[in-house]
Amino acid sequence: MSNAAVLQMKGICKSFFGVEVLHNVDFGVDKGEIMGLCGENGAGKSTLMKILSGIHAQDAGEVIFKGSVIRRNATPLEMQRVGVSMIHQELILLNELTIAQNIFLCREPRGAAGLINFNRMNEDAARILSKLGEKIDPKRKVRDLKIAQKQMVEIAKAIAFNVELLVMDEPTSALTGKETKILFDLISSLSAQGIAVVYISHRLKEIIDVCHKVTVLRDGHFVATKNVADVTAHEIATLMVGREVKESKASDFPGDPNAVVLEVRGVSDDLLKDVGFKVRRGEILGFSGLIGAGRTELMEVVFGIRKPRTGSVFIEGKPVTIRSAIDAIRVDLGFVTEDRKETGLVLCRDIVDNANYVSWLKNPGMFKGAKATMENTRRIIDRLAIRCSSPAQNVSNLSGGNQQKVALSKWLLSGAKVLVLDEPTRGVDVGARQEIYQIIRELAAEGVAIVIVSSDLPEILSICERVIVMHEGRITGTLNASELSEAKVMYYATDV
Amino acid sequence: MIAVESRAENRALELLKGIWRNYSVLVVFVGIIGICAIAAPRFLRMDNLLNILRNTSTVGAIALGMTFVIIAGGIDLSSGPVLATAGAVLILLQRMVNADGTPAVPLALAIVACLAVATSFGFLNGIIITKAKLPPFIVTLAVGIMARSLVMYFMRGATVMGNNIPQFTRIGNGSVFSIPIPFLLVVGVAIIFHILLTRTKFGTYVFAVGGNENAARYSGIKVDRIRIATYMIVGLCTGMAATIEMSRMAAVAAATSGSQYEFEAITAVIVGGTSLTGGKGRLIGSIVGFIILGIVNNMMIMLNISPYLSGCVKGAVILFAVLMQRRER
Ligand SMILES: Nc1ncnc2c1ncn2[C@@H]1O[C@H](COP(=O)(O)OP(=O)(O)OP(=O)(O)O)[C@@H](O)[C@H]1O
Ligand SMILES: [Mg+2]
Repeated sequence: MSNAAVLQMKGICKSFFGVEVLHNVDFGVDKGEIMGLCGENGAGKSTLMKILSGIHAQDAGEVIFKGSVIRRNATPLEMQRVGVSMIHQELILLNELTIAQNIFLCREPRGAAGLINFNRMNEDAARILSKLGEKIDPKRKVRDLKIAQKQMVEIAKAIAFNVELLVMDEPTSALTGKETKILFDLISSLSAQGIAVVYISHRLKEIIDVCHKVTVLRDGHFVATKNVADVTAHEIATLMVGREVKESKASDFPGDPNAVVLEVRGVSDDLLKDVGFKVRRGEILGFSGLIGAGRTELMEVVFGIRKPRTGSVFIEGKPVTIRSAIDAIRVDLGFVTEDRKETGLVLCRDIVDNANYVSWLKNPGMFKGAKATMENTRRIIDRLAIRCSSPAQNVSNLSGGNQQKVALSKWLLSGAKVLVLDEPTRGVDVGARQEIYQIIRELAAEGVAIVIVSSDLPEILSICERVIVMHEGRITGTLNASELSEAKVMYYATDV
Repeated sequence: MIAVESRAENRALELLKGIWRNYSVLVVFVGIIGICAIAAPRFLRMDNLLNILRNTSTVGAIALGMTFVIIAGGIDLSSGPVLATAGAVLILLQRMVNADGTPAVPLALAIVACLAVATSFGFLNGIIITKAKLPPFIVTLAVGIMARSLVMYFMRGATVMGNNIPQFTRIGNGSVFSIPIPFLLVVGVAIIFHILLTRTKFGTYVFAVGGNENAARYSGIKVDRIRIATYMIVGLCTGMAATIEMSRMAAVAAATSGSQYEFEAITAVIVGGTSLTGGKGRLIGSIVGFIILGIVNNMMIMLNISPYLSGCVKGAVILFAVLMQRRER
C-alpha cells in the first residue's frame, strides 16, 4: 500500500434481503488519483460507493479514509464533513427549490442575525455554475430544468465545498459531448489539486480518456484493478462481462423509402423553429445534437405532452390530433422518456406492473390475466437480462441500468408501430446495450419505425440508419449511415 | 468458519425481518389480542368478540373505500358528513307512509337512494379535485363541512326517528350462524375489493397513480378517471356504512351521525400499513386496522377506562403501529 492512499475499503460484504450483492470487495484510491469503476448493471458499483458515502452500512469489512477507520454506521453528513462527496446516479435534487438553494442545501451562507444571505448564495451558485460552463439563472426552480441541466446542478452541488474524495456515479449518462468535455477538464484540475475521484461510467471510452486506473467488478466480486494505459476499452468490456462483446455498425436503410409511418410538419414554439421529419416503416432514425437543441421537446410535441404553437402530425399519411399520451398510444405511438425516475417508472411498484402498464391498456378485458402477464414479464427479463431477485422486486431496489431496462420493456411489450426512444440506454452496460440494439433491430425488421434520441455518439453511429442533427431548435443536417462520422455530426450540432 | 456462521445467522435474521416487513400488522394484531386476553379474561368470550365485529362494521366499510383513495394518493375527509346526509335521505324515505300506513317508498329503493347520494358526493369530490386541480385534503374538507351544514339545515339540527321495519332493522342487528350481518356485508365487499385491487387492471392503475402520477399519465393511464373512481368507491362504501348505521340506530342525528368516522377510517388504513404518500397498501391491512380500533374501544369499556381517554389510546396505537412499520436502513 502506498502511503498516499486516501481511501482503502477492505473485504466489504453487503446483502439486501438475504441476497449478497458485494462479496469481499477490496477497493482503494490514492491522493489525486482518478479511479474508474466498471461493471455490468447490478454488479454492485453504486452499492459500494453508497457504503463509502454513508448511505448503506456494510455487513462486513472496513473503510479506512485518510488513515482512520470509519465508523460502520457513519451518516452521509459525517462522511461529507470528512471530505467524501458523492454525485448520485439517480438525481436527488429538490424540485421545488431553486438551483442555488439546492446547491447550498443545509450549508447556506449566513448573513447578519443568522439569516440566509440569498444574494451571496445566488452569486456563489452562478460562479460555480459558470465554472461548469452553464449560464442558467440560479434563481430558477429545479422543476423546470431538463435532465442534463439537473445533472450539472448536481455536479455543482458536489464541488461547492471542500472535498478530498469525489465519487461520480454515471455523471455523463445524460450529458452530451460538450458538457462532458467541460466535466473532464474539471476532473483533471481537481486531480491536479490532489483531490481523488472515483468515476463510474458505462462509456468505456470516457474511462480510458479521463481515468488513471480502473477497477472492475463482476457480480459483486472484485475482478481486477488495471492501469488505464495498459488496457483498451474492449479489454475492460471483456473483464466486465466475462466474455467477448461484439460491437456493430449500422448501414443505410434498406426498406421502402415511401412507406412513411410518421410524419411531423412545421412544429414551432418558443424553442423549436419550423421542425419536421419523416420516419418509415422499419427504419431506425437517430436525433443528435447538444443539450438544449430541442430534440426531447420535439418528441414531447409528437407524443402530445407539449403543446406547440404550430405543427401537425400524420400517421400513415392521415392527419391525427394528439393531445395526450392516451391519444398517442391510440395511434400506436410509444415513447420511452429520458427521465425514468420522473416520468418513466412507478418506483414503488414491482417489475411486473411497470413492464405491463401499456400492454394492459391495449388488451381488452378488466382482468390482468395473471398467466399471460407473468409469461410476458419473464420473457422480457430474460431478453434484456434484467438482474433482479424476482419479477416481484420493487423497481426502486434495482440498479440504475436495470431500472432503465424496465422502463424500456414497458414499450417493447406494447406493440407500438412507432417507438420513440429518448436516451434508451442511459446507464445500461456494454453487454446489455448490445442486447437492446439487437432488440431494436429486430423490432425494425418486424416493421416498427424507430426514432432514437441519443447524446451518445457511438450509440448513434452503431445503430441509426439515418441521423437528423439539431441545433438550437432547428434541423441543421441529415446524414445517412454510410456518410456518418463523429466529425460530421459535431459539425452540424455546433452549427459553425 | 466464524464468518460463515455469522453469515447464516444473518440469513435467519433477514428472514425474520422479511416476515416482519410483510406481516407486521398481523404480528401487532396477535400481540394486542394476547394482551387484551390477559388484561380482561371476558374479552375472549365469543359474544364479546362478535360484538366487536358488529360495532366496527360501519367504520370498517368506510375504511375499505378509504384504502383505494389513499393508495391513489388522495384522502377523504368528508365521509362522516356524507354518512349523515345519505343516512338522512334513507330515514326520510323509509318513514314516509301512505294513508293506509304502508311504506310509501319500497325499502330497497330507499337504500339505493342512500347509496346513490353517497356515491354522488364521491363523484363531486373527485371531479373538483381532478378538474380544478385542488388538493384532496382541502376539497373533501370543504365538501364535508357543506354536507354537514346542509343536513343540519334541512333537519333543523334535530334527530329524526325512522319507522320500525323489521327487515330494515335486521341489516344492522341480525346475525347469520351467529355472525353479525353487517360484518358479513363488510367481508363480502372486502373480498370483491381485494380482487378489484389485486387482479384487475383498475387496481394496478390505482397503485400506479398513487406511486407516480406522471409516469402513469405518460403510460396512457386515465389518471383523472382513476382518481374520480376511487372517490366514488369511498362514497359507495360510506353509503353502505350509512345503511348499517341507520339500521342499528333507527334514527339519524343531524349533528352527530357519522361524526369523526372519517378519522377513524383513515386511522384504520394507516394502522393497516397503507402509506399516506400513496402507491403502497393492502386491503387486508385495513381490515386488521379497523378491528384493532374496535378492540381498543371494547377494552376501554371492559377495563372501565374513561371514554374521554380513548383518543389518547388511539393516538398511541397509531404512533406505535407506524413506528413499527418504519423500515430500517
Ligand atoms: N436497496 C436495495 N434493496 C434491494 N436490493 C438492492 C438495493 N440496492 C441495490 N440492490 C441490488 O444490489 C445489486 C447491485 O446494485 P448496484 O446499484 O450497486 O449496481 P450497479 O453496479 O450500480 O449497477 P448499474 O450499472 O446498473 O447502476 C443489484 O442486483 C440490485 O438489485
Ligand atoms: Mg449504479
